Amino acid sequence: MDGKLEVSIDKLPVKRLDHIEENGAERYPADLGYEEKRLSLIRKIDFAWAVEKDDKKKQKKSANESSTPWQWQGMVENLQLAHQELSVIIDLIKTVEANNAVSVVSSTRPKPSPHEQLSDLAVSAATKLQCFLQLSKYFKQSAKALEQQVSKEARFYGVLIRLQQNWKVKRQRLATTAPSSDGFTIDLFDNSIYNPASVVRPLSISTLRIERNSAGMLSICVPLKSTRTLHFTFLGMQAGVTYGKSNKLKTEALREDKDEALGDDGSVKKIHSVLREVHQAIFDEQVFDLVNREAFNPSLGVSVTGIRENCLQLSLGHGTSVAISLELSAADDQSAEVLDSHDFGTENLCFDSVNEVKSAEGKCDSFDKEIPYHACYEVYLQQIFHEHVFLRTKSRDDSATARASGQPDKDGSNLLSHFCMSLAHRIFSTKVLAELEKVVSGVPYLQLMSHPAWHSRTSSWTLFMRVPASIPNSSRSNMQDFYHVKHNIPAFRTKVVVTDDSIKVEGEGAPNVIGLFKGGLEDTSSINRYDCDLAGLPVIILQQVASQIIQWLHEEALKVGIKVTRDFLRLSFELEQGETLSLVAHVDLDDPVGCISWWLVVDDGFSEEPNLHSEESEYKRFLGYLSLDVLSSTLMDLVSLCN
Amino acid sequence: MNRGGGALGSGGGPTAAATAAAAQKQKALLQRVETDIGNIVDNFNHLVNVSRVNDPPVRNSQEAFMMEMRASRMVQAADSLLKLVSELKQTAIFSGFASLNDHVEQRIAEFEQQVDKSDHLLSRIADEAAASLKELESHYYSSAQRANQPREP
Repeated sequence: MDGKLEVSIDKLPVKRLDHIEENGAERYPADLGYEEKRLSLIRKIDFAWAVEKDDKKKQKKSANESSTPWQWQGMVENLQLAHQELSVIIDLIKTVEANNAVSVVSSTRPKPSPHEQLSDLAVSAATKLQCFLQLSKYFKQSAKALEQQVSKEARFYGVLIRLQQNWKVKRQRLATTAPSSDGFTIDLFDNSIYNPASVVRPLSISTLRIERNSAGMLSICVPLKSTRTLHFTFLGMQAGVTYGKSNKLKTEALREDKDEALGDDGSVKKIHSVLREVHQAIFDEQVFDLVNREAFNPSLGVSVTGIRENCLQLSLGHGTSVAISLELSAADDQSAEVLDSHDFGTENLCFDSVNEVKSAEGKCDSFDKEIPYHACYEVYLQQIFHEHVFLRTKSRDDSATARASGQPDKDGSNLLSHFCMSLAHRIFSTKVLAELEKVVSGVPYLQLMSHPAWHSRTSSWTLFMRVPASIPNSSRSNMQDFYHVKHNIPAFRTKVVVTDDSIKVEGEGAPNVIGLFKGGLEDTSSINRYDCDLAGLPVIILQQVASQIIQWLHEEALKVGIKVTRDFLRLSFELEQGETLSLVAHVDLDDPVGCISWWLVVDDGFSEEPNLHSEESEYKRFLGYLSLDVLSSTLMDLVSLCN
Repeated sequence: MNRGGGALGSGGGPTAAATAAAAQKQKALLQRVETDIGNIVDNFNHLVNVSRVNDPPVRNSQEAFMMEMRASRMVQAADSLLKLVSELKQTAIFSGFASLNDHVEQRIAEFEQQVDKSDHLLSRIADEAAASLKELESHYYSSAQRANQPREP
């Protein structure tokens, strides 16, 4: 309290007249009861001073602490004020009680009626119930949210586990991972053959990030234009025509909005296919890298004619050149490149950029039979590298033999040359086959049999000629019945074997030309082998066949007992007076009717060597393109003529 | 919790330090689990206690606040339990080497089988193609049609 003490003066407790009634009675105000007197005294006490004091203190405090308004500040102040008032009142009551002026009787509220009690209880119960209902809503909501979260997590981890069964999933515990990613990556790089010292080109992509997409599901992000595939093209065989190949799979980048429609299995399959494509792209890049490395080692059959960043041109000899290149996958390839003429929508179309005609796969070969289908060579290239480099490396690791990793495997260094030589062989053997077919189509009694050799650089064919059965009463027995012994049917075979680009011809029953010149006829039905080139092949074969026929006729005649002599392509009968009658075979590859024709020549021993190309004269007669039956009956006729 | 078996089973290979670290981690995780579950039970208890309907309305609103607070604490504890579970799942995914290796080996065997099958199929196809070619060639070349056919240029 301050020094000032305020004093209030009451009225004197004198009864004053209130009013006078009409009948003269005086009315005085009623006496105040004891309680009322007390109450009025209490009411007179002015608590303003206490309240003011507190206000001043509060203002001082707030002037000091006006920096940060705390959200509970107001409530705290109110509570403090209430506390102050209560303490004042309690002090007052105690003081009054201590002075024995007044004894405090606890004032109770009037006892509420049961109705009021029950309604109070009802209200409280209702508010409590309200509270419970709110709580229950809250619990349900959070339970639902947690369940959803759990199921999302379960799906995410389910997909992740399934991916992990087949791919290498790595986790990075970074504190600063992006919110949409948990730090999982898939590592697609196969470092079994990775040799950091000798890498020519770094890989464009080796790890992929796993992310959660907008729906919380797992998705892979593949950067655009990062995957390339191996392509193989033939150049220069037909100017201006390049065959391209569109993408292997119809790929779309992983579309997230379709994921939910697919379900977990579908999305896992899609992810697997995306990962497999990237894996294949990495493999293609590694193969291309190896091809580059090998191309610059000097080796047989390969020479580099051009090199670009993603393209290597090689020349195989004989005017063939190929290009091995890494092309962007079709979904990414929007730029105008050389092989821009891909058709992205469908698979495996050959595109003729000169004629601008789309043709189906099967018709590619009809454009030019000499060009083999390029896809099989892509596959072959990938396969030989895979088998020899990758698998061998793995088996080498498995067997744990210590070898200097820098030394290339002996087989590995020749892979590219092996591949190119196979390709050259294939083209060459196609040409050889064309020639053989030409020959065979010209001789009706000659058959061609192919022998597929499961070696990439060897091909072989057999030319097969069946002769009519010989006369049963044969007196000759010491003859080497070569063809009778060896085969059930009488036939002559000529074998043509092509190895790389060299041709070997093996003729059965063909006379040894040199032996004939020397005059020896004994060993004339052995097998002869000799080399030849492509240009001379048809003629040699025709001559071989013709001489085989002559040989057969010779044998037939000898069986009958006629003395005949045989030259390379001529069978001579002796007539009286030293004249000889000869059956001569004439070989002409370009003859439109048939390749082997027969002439009958009479030679009286005095005239010169008949010139078959001259006009037909009395000395020689053109017999025509005779079949073997006709020949054999002609022979019989001649035999009877000679007898 | 079966992680004890997994963690202790791998303790034979790595060093003692790794074993100790693994045991420590396991202990910490168990601690977290117990804390969380204790939290949930505790808060639920309080919630139920406070649920009685009292006379003064003041107390009721006080209790209402308490109830809300307890409920949100329970949900928080449940959430942290779930996070723990997903952490465990992650660890399991990346540490289940035995099953992964088994699976990888199984897949390798499957793929090798497929390789063999493909090889057989390819060689069978090749053999059949060779046989067909032979047959077709012999039929063609011995056919009467060819014998009568004029020579193609």
